[in-house]
Parts: sequence; C-alpha cells; structure tokens
Amino acid sequence: MGYYFQGFLHTIIVTFIAVGIGLVLGFTVAIIKISAGNYKFMKIPAIICNIYTTVFRGTPVALQLFIMVFAVFAIPGFKPAAAIITFGINSGAYVSENIRAGITSVDKGQMEAGRAMGLNWLQTMIRIILPQAVKNIIPAIGNEMIALLKETSIISMVGSTVGTLTFDLNFASRTAYKTVTNYLATGIIAAVFYLSVVYLMVFIVKIIERKLGTDDKRKEYI
Amino acid sequence: MINAKNIYKNFGKNEVIKNASIDIEKGERVVIIGPSGGGKSTFLRCLNLLEEVTRGEVWLDGKLISKPDPYLHDEVLKYSDAYLRKTKRGEKDEDKILSEIKENRELKKREGIRFNKELKKISANYGQDINVARRKMGMVFQQFNLFNNMTVMQNLVYVPVKLKILSKAEAEKKATELLGRINLSDKKDAYPASLSGGQKQRVAIIRSLMMNPEVMLFDEPTSALDPEMVGEVLSLIKELADEGMTMVIVTHEMGFAREVATRVLFIDGGAIAEDDSPEEIFTNPKNARLKEFLSKVL
Ligand SMILES: Nc1ncnc2c1ncn2[C@@H]1O[C@H](COP(=O)(O)OP(=O)(O)OP(=O)(O)O)[C@@H](O)[C@H]1O
Ligand SMILES: [Mg+2]
Repeated sequence: MGYYFQGFLHTIIVTFIAVGIGLVLGFTVAIIKISAGNYKFMKIPAIICNIYTTVFRGTPVALQLFIMVFAVFAIPGFKPAAAIITFGINSGAYVSENIRAGITSVDKGQMEAGRAMGLNWLQTMIRIILPQAVKNIIPAIGNEMIALLKETSIISMVGSTVGTLTFDLNFASRTAYKTVTNYLATGIIAAVFYLSVVYLMVFIVKIIERKLGTDDKRKEYI
Repeated sequence: MINAKNIYKNFGKNEVIKNASIDIEKGERVVIIGPSGGGKSTFLRCLNLLEEVTRGEVWLDGKLISKPDPYLHDEVLKYSDAYLRKTKRGEKDEDKILSEIKENRELKKREGIRFNKELKKISANYGQDINVARRKMGMVFQQFNLFNNMTVMQNLVYVPVKLKILSKAEAEKKATELLGRINLSDKKDAYPASLSGGQKQRVAIIRSLMMNPEVMLFDEPTSALDPEMVGEVLSLIKELADEGMTMVIVTHEMGFAREVATRVLFIDGGAIAEDDSPEEIFTNPKNARLKEFLSKVL
C-alpha cells in the first residue's frame, strides 16, 4: 500500500507545483504578448513568447520530458525537479493561450473607456480588463489542471528507465504487485484515484465560477 | 483649445482621414455630421488620440499631445538631408525649398542627428503626456462602455481617485450630486448590466464630468439607444451645452445638431467638406455632397 500512497502524493505534488509554474508563466507570457500591441518595446519579448508557445504546444510533452530530463537538466539527483519544471513550462504555454483568449474576449470598449479617462494601459488592464477576463479564464484553467494531472503519469517513462523517479501512480500500479491477476485491481485503484481527484477539481472550479458569476445574475433579475 | 493640424490617418491602404485641420475654441459646440464610413468617428478619436494619427499633429491648450510631425516645423526641416543638399547645390529661396520638401514629402526614413535633435526639442518644449491630456477631454461612446466589473458608484469615483484628481470623500460627494441630478441616486450600487441603455449613457456622461473635463467628445451618444431613451440623453447633453461646456459631437440626430451646435462640420470621404454655422449648413448648404446628404436625412 505504501506504493499507492507515495504515488497519490507525488502525483498531486507534481501537478500542484507544475500548475503553479504554469499559471505564473502563462500569465506573464499572455501579458507580454498582449502588451506588444500597445508598447513597442514589448515587440521582441512577444516574439520570444510566441516561439515558446509554438514549440511547447507543437511537440509532444513526452518528447519534452525526455529532452529536459536527459539533456537540458542532466544533473544527478535533479530528475524529479526537471520533470516538474517541464510540466510547468509545458502547461504555461497552454495556460498563456487560455489567459490571452480570456483577455481578448473582453469588449475592447472597456480598454478604450479606461484610456480615454487618462488611465494608462497597465492600470486599465489590471483594474478593468483582468477582473472581467478571470470569468472567462477559470473554466479553461480548470481543464488545463485536469489534463496536467493525468499527463503527469508519463513521468514513469523517464522514471522507470532511470530508477530514480518512482513517484507516479502508473508506475506504482505496475510495481506494487507483480502478478498478472493483480494488474486489474491495481489499475482500478489508480483509476479511482484519478477520477476522484478530477471530480474534486471540477467541483472546485464550479464553485469558483459560481462565485464569479454574480454580475451576470444581477442582470437576470431585471 | 483643440488644434488638429493636417491630420492624416490610414488603416493599411484605407485612407480614412486625409489632411484635416480644425481649431476648436473654448465654448464652441462643434457637431460633426456626414455619411456612414466617412470618417467621423475616426476624426473624433484622433482628437484624443484613441486613434494614433499617421501624420499631422494634435494640440490641446497649446501643448502637443501627438508625436511631432517634422513637416509642420520649418526649423526642423532646415536640418533635413534634402534641405542641406538643395542649399549646397546653390538654391537660395528658402521658402521654395521648404515647400518643395513638403509637397514631395522628401524626408528620409532616417534623418541625421541634428534633425532628430531639433525634432526632440519640439517634444521637449511643447509635448504633454497623452494620459495627462486625456483627463481634460471627456469621451462618451456609442456603446456606453461603463466598467462592467464595477458598480455605478465605483464607475464614477474610481478614475478620479486613482489619478488623484479628487480625494475619495470629494469624489463620492460629487458622484452623489451628479447621480441626483440625473435621478439615478437609487442605482448607485447597481452594476451596469442591470441598467437600461439610457441610464447607462447618462451614467457614462456624468462619469466624464467627474474628471472636470474642459471639453467633451461624443461619438453618436444616442445611436445604440431604443427610441424612447434618446430624449433623456439628448436633454442631458443640452443641459451641459447650456452650462457652456465645450463639445464635439458626432451625431445623426439632425434636429439636435441644429439646436445645440454653434458650428457644424460635414465630414465626407475623410475630409472636412464644409465647416460653417448651423444656419448656413442646414439652410444654405454649398457642397454638393452635403446637399445630397441633407436631402436624404432631413
Ligand atoms: N480600426 C479600424 N481598422 C480598419 N479600418 C477602420 C478602423 N476604424 C475605422 N475604419 C475604417 O475607416 C472608415 C471610416 O470609419 P468611421 O468609423 O470613422 O466612419 P464614420 O463616419 O464614423 O461612420 P458611421 O457613421 O458608420 O459611424 C471606414 O471605412 C472604416 O471601415
Ligand atoms: Mg462612427
């Protein structure tokens, strides 16, 4: 049972940290890309960000994991961290697109009204646009978290070959009981784990969405 | 108060404003009319640089708020490559050289250091930050553009407090007064989504007033409204007019234009085709396109 527990824990830790990295990175990249429309000096950073999102969304995460773990961060003892960083960077690419879409879906009249009153671009973005964008972004971020949770299982690919990374559920389910009859049972336990965590995530996202939906509800009363 | 000098604006191949100039004095109420797509909105938005002008300059109260346009400054042009080349060749007539340069737009993409220095001097001497200038120019949009994430009260007080034009207490006092004036005191904690179009637009107008603007720009303030709400918005604008507010108004409401304007511009094909008193424009139009336009809308 120790394997399972370790597997649960590690999957959740990896997902959690990677989502954190992904959110920070994704938010930064989205803001850089969008600000290039207003600030000329952001053009070059925006190009770099475009390359980043294109590369990380355009190649399989398994491949990214291999390159990062065995080449870029081929430092002894650094493999778990390298894997987490890879998932974070990969997730950041997707999250940045979600955030960007959320921001651009806010009516452009909102930015114009802020600017016309004398607020600068950043002030308007932070106080007027982003609060309205959050509502559009949250569901997409929720989906991204769920996808990431499941994706982390491919860590076993680099983990099992090296033997230092033993912390994912699939790996645990394969090593816990090495008899054919138990594969089904261990598989089901892993599936139940994933399903319950995903269900919990969906539930939390729903609550947040409902909280943020208040402005729209007021509209319905009238 | 507002001086637009030779402004030109294009979106790619589409030339939307072609060298329009206007001087608007304090107290004037300029109404802009013209056919759809003629460039009225773009022209108005160039005045507060919501659209950056491609060429030309916009001045507010003697301050340059757009980028300087070298073609408008002879003292800068005299350091251009073309000017120096022509004088070296022995041409003597300064005025002729300068007008040649302007006419043929002979400036290069990259001029010399001295030229750039002179151009920077213009910005340094006359330039004003656009964000500061915009505080003096209220803008009212066709689509209202109230901040959807804020209540009516927050819409009114947020910017003046943030930009330290008013203290929080002053802003709230002023907002309360203005809300009373438009009979919407009971809506102060409502969100924009719960207001009618007419209410939204009236709140948008007093939101501009919160900044104590010197001039107000209106872009078709009643075009998105149901007919029964047009009146309440127009009468609020008329009140402001009677109080002496300087205004530039784009509208399709000809009766209102005639009543409120001290001056009417007819914008067609990106140019100010006629600029005259309302009496002249409506009873004695000269431009053929204006005559045709009026016969359709009146
Ligand atoms: N952001 C933009 N990008 C590209 N083209 C634009 C943009 N804004 C305006 N235009 C074009 O500029 C021209 C003038 O538009 P503008 O909105 O200024 O006209 P208008 O006189 O205000 O018309 P209306 O009475 O319909 O409001 C049109 O051909 C329009 O397609
Ligand atoms: Mg228009």
